[in-house]
Amino acid sequence: MENQNGVSEPDQNGAATASKTLISMQNIWKTYQMGVEELHALRDVSFHVEKGEYLAIIGPSGSGKSTLMNLIGCLDSPSKGDYWINGNLVSEMTDDELARIRNKEIGFVFQTFNLLARATALHNVELPLIYAGMRAGERNEKAQAALASVELGDRVTHRPNELSGGQRQRVAIARALVNHPSILLADEPTGALDSKTSAEIMTLFEKLHSEGNTIIVVTHEHDVADRAHRIISIRDGQIEKDERIK
Amino acid sequence: MNFSETLKLALLAIWAHKLRSFLTLIGMIIGVMAFMVVFSLLQGFNAYIDEKVAGIGSNSFTIMRFNFIDYSNTDKLAEAQRRNKELTFEDIDYLRSRMQVIEKMGAKAGGNQRDIKVGTVIMENVKIDGAEPVIGVIENINTRDGRYFTDAENNNSVRVAFIGADVADKLFPRGDAVGQEIDISGIPYRVIGVQVAKGTIFGMPQDSFVQLPIKTFGANFGGFRGSRFLYFIGTAKSDNLFKDAVEEARTLMRIRRKLTVDEQDTFAIFTPDAIAGLRDSLFGTTFIVILAVPAIALLVGAIVIMNIMLVSVTERTKEIGIRKSLGARQSDILKQFLYEAATLSAIGGLIGLILAELIGVIISSLFIPTKIPWYAALVSIGVSAVVGVLAGLFPAWKAARLDPIEALRAE
Repeated sequence: MENQNGVSEPDQNGAATASKTLISMQNIWKTYQMGVEELHALRDVSFHVEKGEYLAIIGPSGSGKSTLMNLIGCLDSPSKGDYWINGNLVSEMTDDELARIRNKEIGFVFQTFNLLARATALHNVELPLIYAGMRAGERNEKAQAALASVELGDRVTHRPNELSGGQRQRVAIARALVNHPSILLADEPTGALDSKTSAEIMTLFEKLHSEGNTIIVVTHEHDVADRAHRIISIRDGQIEKDERIK
Repeated sequence: MNFSETLKLALLAIWAHKLRSFLTLIGMIIGVMAFMVVFSLLQGFNAYIDEKVAGIGSNSFTIMRFNFIDYSNTDKLAEAQRRNKELTFEDIDYLRSRMQVIEKMGAKAGGNQRDIKVGTVIMENVKIDGAEPVIGVIENINTRDGRYFTDAENNNSVRVAFIGADVADKLFPRGDAVGQEIDISGIPYRVIGVQVAKGTIFGMPQDSFVQLPIKTFGANFGGFRGSRFLYFIGTAKSDNLFKDAVEEARTLMRIRRKLTVDEQDTFAIFTPDAIAGLRDSLFGTTFIVILAVPAIALLVGAIVIMNIMLVSVTERTKEIGIRKSLGARQSDILKQFLYEAATLSAIGGLIGLILAELIGVIISSLFIPTKIPWYAALVSIGVSAVVGVLAGLFPAWKAARLDPIEALRAE
């Protein structure tokens, strides 16, 4: 609470810096009420992410990195502090506005892929476009293209259970990218994959980064984090280290 | 998401869980089916009474000595017997000489059952009644063989008989009834005509009767006393003059009986409407009770849908989380589950309706004709969809309110 003026960087106007700064977290707190006790999952976290960065957020379990990921992904709102994404002040948004931001600005890649089991690869990739209100014809075209870009152009009618783990994760990546989000947010993207497939996915991430996508990977594996260009280490709800490695 | 997208999603989800959807549907199918079958039975029953008993469409009315209400207890009947004099031929002559909008009026009498003999063959308890020749026109009597009475036969009390198809077939199996003699209580009558078979009404045969010219009937069965009372049947000059004709009959009867303004009628006039009204007052409550039972089945169907939708929401928590993470708003999730519930029960309603229609065909061929009016079909599908929406509302609301983080964590 007294840390309010800990970071004095003048970033009052998020929109002004939006051309370069994609994410701006300022003095973010996330507090859970556990009975009478308050549990601070995040304490006064501040950082920025520029467009085109490849960032890894690393930390042991219980460090608060999942909480941070949920905040970045707009699945949750901070208890205190300002969060700007692409010029939008997210921290004060309603549920429906958050849904719109998730749809337009965030592309999720999950550890367990989180594909709809009964839907084809194509329909899975179409989902964000459906919620964006895109017409069926255009949607279909874009989803086909996204699947082709992850080399699954010949698997569009397959269901997730007809695909290998690596293919499933590539469907998920195609889904994440299909609506051209500001950031690709990956939560332990290789956690459910063998080492060979993991390497393939990490190579795909590098390719996507080289094409200009902004990528944030949340992980506890150093191998995965080391592929990024910048690493933020979280411990006990605070940023322990923020280093640029490439 | 727009309507067609959401509907498509609902159909996909229903198709994806075929067995579960089918089990869910059964509740709705049975509910709608039971409701529609009972409803169509009642409709058929009403139509049947209208057509056969009340004679709606025949546009004739009947003047009798007593009204329905006079039979409700012995005191009432005793009072009515003092107040209402018997109808007489003088009454009908009076009406006939003064009527303007009434087209035709004829007298009938009945209430006797006798055994009929031809040679050694005896047919027991056949209904005997008497009618004026004009009744043949008024009641639109169709003859299979021979003819109806003439005025001359009536005026001279000639012993001729017009008989029902059953009587003719039983006593004269060779089909040569006309011209033959039948014996009623020791008196011979010559058969002059046979009526076209009419079948049964509520299991009561309509073709087991012998009709005599009314004067013959009066002369041979002891006059028009007690159960053999006279009653009149009249028709109007045209359909839209029917009410006027009934009113004319009432007014003429009141004048003839010198009733003052504040005295009630000392006779009763029955119209098809009045009989339909009596039916409603007799069976109205019963109908509501009969309809309430399948309505409960419908309610149970709705509860089944709600239950399944709740299970479905729990089962698909992960899916809801995924959809939310991809940008689905609360309203999108709400709509998805509502549409699913509504579509599910509308399909159930449709299938139930089709089955009800089929059962209706079977019932119609075995018992009484049933009919499902088109509006009832629409209503039943609409009602089942509304029931589906109501049943889906709470589960859908639950789904929409799920926290995306919690939902994503679900297995």
